[in-house]
Amino acid sequence: MSVLARSVGNAFRNKVRTAAVVAVLAVAIGLALAMLVANQAVSAKVQELNASVGTVLTVNPAGGQGFEGGGEPLTTEQAATAAAVPNVTSVVGTTSFRLRNAAEAAAMASAGAPAGPGGGQGGGPGGTSATTLTTSLTAAIDAGTLGNRNQAANGTTGATGTTTQPPRSLPITATGIGAEMDNTGKALTITDGSGLGDYTAESANALLGTTLAEKNGLSVGSTFTINDQTHTVAGLFDSGTTFGNNALYVTLPTAQNLAELPDELSSMIVTVDSLENVQSTKAALETALGTDMADVTQGQNLETAVSSLGSVRNISFIAFVAALGTAGLIILLIMVMLVRERRREIGVLKAIGAPNRTIGLQFVLEALVLVAMGSAVGAAIASFASGGIASALISANTTTAAPTRPGARLPGGGAGFPGGAGLPSGGPFGGASQLLTSVTASASPGVIAAGIAAVFGVAIIGALVPALLTARIRPIEVLRGEYP
Amino acid sequence: MIEVKNLVRTFNSGDRTIKPVKNVSFELEQGTLASIVGKSGSGKSTLLSLLGALDKPTSGDVVVNGVSLASMPDGKLTEYRRRDIGFVFQQFNLIPNLSAVDNVMLPMEFAGMRKAGRLQRAKDLLEQVQLDPDKQVRRINRLSGGEQQRVAIARALANEPQLILADEPTGNLDEQTGDHIIELLSSLSREHNTTILVVTHDRALANKADRRFRLQQGKLTEEAARTRSAVATPA
Repeated sequence: MSVLARSVGNAFRNKVRTAAVVAVLAVAIGLALAMLVANQAVSAKVQELNASVGTVLTVNPAGGQGFEGGGEPLTTEQAATAAAVPNVTSVVGTTSFRLRNAAEAAAMASAGAPAGPGGGQGGGPGGTSATTLTTSLTAAIDAGTLGNRNQAANGTTGATGTTTQPPRSLPITATGIGAEMDNTGKALTITDGSGLGDYTAESANALLGTTLAEKNGLSVGSTFTINDQTHTVAGLFDSGTTFGNNALYVTLPTAQNLAELPDELSSMIVTVDSLENVQSTKAALETALGTDMADVTQGQNLETAVSSLGSVRNISFIAFVAALGTAGLIILLIMVMLVRERRREIGVLKAIGAPNRTIGLQFVLEALVLVAMGSAVGAAIASFASGGIASALISANTTTAAPTRPGARLPGGGAGFPGGAGLPSGGPFGGASQLLTSVTASASPGVIAAGIAAVFGVAIIGALVPALLTARIRPIEVLRGEYP
Repeated sequence: MIEVKNLVRTFNSGDRTIKPVKNVSFELEQGTLASIVGKSGSGKSTLLSLLGALDKPTSGDVVVNGVSLASMPDGKLTEYRRRDIGFVFQQFNLIPNLSAVDNVMLPMEFAGMRKAGRLQRAKDLLEQVQLDPDKQVRRINRLSGGEQQRVAIARALANEPQLILADEPTGNLDEQTGDHIIELLSSLSREHNTTILVVTHDRALANKADRRFRLQQGKLTEEAARTRSAVATPA
């Protein structure tokens, strides 16, 4: 009988005790693995966030994010100034304007109702062009309470909202952009067709949000009009939100020409070369552009999200180490108990010539058999519990920092033209809080294997220490009773 | 050849100092069958544990084939026990959850013998001690005291040691099996030139030894020796 076979046999000497030990180990190992899975998932998410938008700054016209609108619009000249700031790797300008269905606009005009926000009459807040153009498209979303209130406030009836207004559909957000990204600086997710090619040249092509295209029965190659000019759907994109998909993108020059504002920009998306330089570059941009002319924002919600995820990562790592330590302590105590119980047996093995390493190996293998069984059950527990534990950790760490409800947005996001730059009023990264809920804590085999390897490592130490300490004793000392 | 030189072992028990082995000296030629008799508590088992390197003497030395046990490090002592010593304990000291054959294979496993070879040798040894084949695969805790004693003897013979130390080897056996074990030990001594030192209360067994010692209050004295031919022919 080999050492391994003897160890397996020893692990099952007392079946009731073995079952109890495995149950306790499974809970500790399961908790450790769940924490490791949560830690890995959050770490991956933080890395992803930092890699995607962590180095992006957004420049809006000064005061553009207030209800009362801002000062002067941004210009292409300011974009060149921003591009010259050290550590800036790219500056992408955007021009946003509203589109209103031509038939609906005509009906509202004949009924004497305000044509909507701006409508050629009211100014859009912040850097948003006050221009509202007509289109053959129909908005994919009807205005809700906030949408109606905001549009009424921006219309000719003033901001009091006391006059009862008929329900409106929301305007469609059109954005001209100088690169293939959305207005938060994230790469556009094109689900069908292709991009617009050269975003710095005028083009009759456009990218439509999936819900907008669906509402209007359009697909790649279909055509629609903006101010009676025909545009072709080059591709469809998915922004991940319903409101975000009630939008379209054209190239920056196309948007500037349509809005008849050739040198104006609604916002600038500035990419910094590294996360470490973001703060200093932000300050340099504020100096270069002037705080009375431009607001430079970093996406506070993203910072909050990353910070919250960092807390979750730290907590989950500490909990992993604690659970691992607990598993190790359990193994140590169990092995101390087993070794004490079998002191006589160790003495016999030594008396008949067993080397210390063989005795140590026998007890280590016995512990590993118990740990293997505990790990199997623990891995099953972790695979079921890791998602819930990660969610609970994230919720507990973000309730005051950001909304964690899937799809939750700050109220301004409900309006057709929120904020000065046509972005959710939660800031340029208003959707970042949602990223917290998109952490997927799946128990990948690699992470589970790494966790189990760590548990085995701890178990080896836990088993080896008492066995070797006992094995070092002279055999006669553990055979007391046999001899005086 | 085993030389025991001025061996002393003392234990402290509270304020008292117990001295079960007092300045014991003797020599045994290789292949000798020797017996030690004495009352309970006279120090017989303590002396056996010192000779078997299970314990270290307070003073004095045991020299085996010119090598001093007192100067051996622990690793070498383990090797000495594995290679040169076969122990038959008074309380058997078998591993309870292993079968008889597995118990006998243990010392061979520690000595690095291949599995097939040690299995066959274990079966042969168990047959020599007259343990039925069906009992050879039984767990130790399902064997009687006498059967366990025979397994313990088979285990002591496993690595063909130079010295077998047996503490009451026939104490749990019936007369017939006891006689067989005595004969087995005698033949080992004769045919394999194995030195055998037996601690016993059994006067019949003691009388069959080449040399007979008596231990009284820790002091060893030798009684009259028998001739080899007398040992070779059981009564």
